[in-house]
Amino acid sequence: MRALVIDDSRVMRRIIAGTLRTIGYSTSEAGDGREALDLLEAGETYDLACIDWNMPVMDGLEFVTAVRENREWRGLTLMMVTTESEHGQIVRALAAGAHEYLIKPFTPDAIRDKLDLLGLLPIEESV
Amino acid sequence: MTTFAPFDTVQITEVAGEIFAAMIDGEPGLLFPWTGGPIVLSEPLFAWVEMHDAFSGRVVLSTETSTAHALVRGLLGMTGGEAVSEADLVDAFGEVANVVGGNLKALLPTQGRLTLPVVGRVAPSTEGLTRFDGAALSWCGRPLDITVWRI
Amino acid sequence: MTLAADTFSYVADLVRQRSAIQLAPGKEYLVESRLLPIARQAGAGSVDEYVRELRRLPRPAEHERVVEALTTNETSWFRDVAPFTSLTGHIVPELLGNRPTSTLRVWSAACSTGQEPYSILMAVLESNPALQVQITATDLSEEVLSRARAGRYSQLEINRGLPASHLVRHFTRVGTEWEVSQRLRSMVTFSKHNLLNAPPLGGPFDVVFLRNVLIYFDLATKREVLRRARAVIRPGGYLLLGGAETTLGIDDTWERVAVGRSSVYRRTERRAA
Repeated sequence: MRALVIDDSRVMRRIIAGTLRTIGYSTSEAGDGREALDLLEAGETYDLACIDWNMPVMDGLEFVTAVRENREWRGLTLMMVTTESEHGQIVRALAAGAHEYLIKPFTPDAIRDKLDLLGLLPIEESV
Repeated sequence: MTTFAPFDTVQITEVAGEIFAAMIDGEPGLLFPWTGGPIVLSEPLFAWVEMHDAFSGRVVLSTETSTAHALVRGLLGMTGGEAVSEADLVDAFGEVANVVGGNLKALLPTQGRLTLPVVGRVAPSTEGLTRFDGAALSWCGRPLDITVWRI
Repeated sequence: MTLAADTFSYVADLVRQRSAIQLAPGKEYLVESRLLPIARQAGAGSVDEYVRELRRLPRPAEHERVVEALTTNETSWFRDVAPFTSLTGHIVPELLGNRPTSTLRVWSAACSTGQEPYSILMAVLESNPALQVQITATDLSEEVLSRARAGRYSQLEINRGLPASHLVRHFTRVGTEWEVSQRLRSMVTFSKHNLLNAPPLGGPFDVVFLRNVLIYFDLATKREVLRRARAVIRPGGYLLLGGAETTLGIDDTWERVAVGRSSVYRRTERRAA
């Protein structure tokens, strides 16, 4: 399974991508919404996108809106991963079409729990 | 003399506590109020973000450079003798300030933007600025100072 | 007492595979302190011995306990997901089909800080908004019960498995915390209760959640707890156990119901052997 991690902080991308790889995903990264859209427009496909809100050039909300306007990208699950945690902000993101919302700071198992809710956990290897 | 204080020491401590528990230490209980008197740093590193909205302010994190290194190692899950690169130090310490600032901003009645974090060895100028309650913290016995200013 | 290196690496691998949590070297003390009570309960003299035995004879329920003990302290919302899907997709429709109106009564035994009963409510009310639901939620610890009654959770706690749509519908922010709506809180009664005592008031129940509790008891106690639970479940009512738990070999008055991947049992009228 493939994930796209979109955040303007290199360190945050590294942390999220690292957790996703431990869970079993292969990961790609983008530093803003525009870079991420470029990847999609170039034909790259992903099962999951983890999206920061506040980024230069194109922010997370704009990216979510753009993705949901394009039927071709219907299969992409959109999860916000952000410090924006005010009630109205979460409502805005869900209304724009985000499927899930994770508030920073988060633990690795919080990511895992969200993926479980979304049915996006790769089949576990047995111990 | 006071205009409204945007967030209090307890809230700042809670926010910092959650960040350390979730992303740096992997467990709660390693961040406490600092009880060693005024914090004086010999080789400080500063990271700050600013917000412009209901409250126009700056949130500054400061600690010893060596503490910042340790904190970043925790954040990045680095073990053994791996050194933290300067680039990683700046990015990671800045990101911690970003997450602290972002969570504090979320306590405000309306939502504006946070500036990108800035990291430096010299504190940002506080000339003419009003200082609000921050949180002086101890992480494994090392000082971490969070100060809040109206700009 | 120091942990053997291969004990630590076995446990770290297990935890990482099940929960994505990395136990870095340096966390041996955590493994030691969290697993010692479990090791003792399993009859081992040390964590090394316990893990040696576990490697020799792997048992899913024990793996579950180990991972449980080492993952962070926050309890998840909608824990394991599947039981709640079973509840709304199969159990509630069947119960309501047989008995169209009146109140759905649920017992959440070992409710801890309240995530389970509130999750049950959120799930059921989503598909049945007008349904009357009464939940009896019990636990041994007064401390967790008072937290559960207050219905206030930290940001880290609400990040754990709570669908964002439920968060915005049923919670409001209070400072750095999130609080469950008064409406939801009014549908749950929290009380202190020991599973070995007479069952709590609020029954007879249509559904009992008894998840991840039996694993801590020996066989005789498991039987006793199940017997007492059965007495307050309606005929045809349901029992939900934790992921790796089963009534098989303990109590044959329950019928396993094949609903997805969850441990769902229905009370039958068979006589206990």
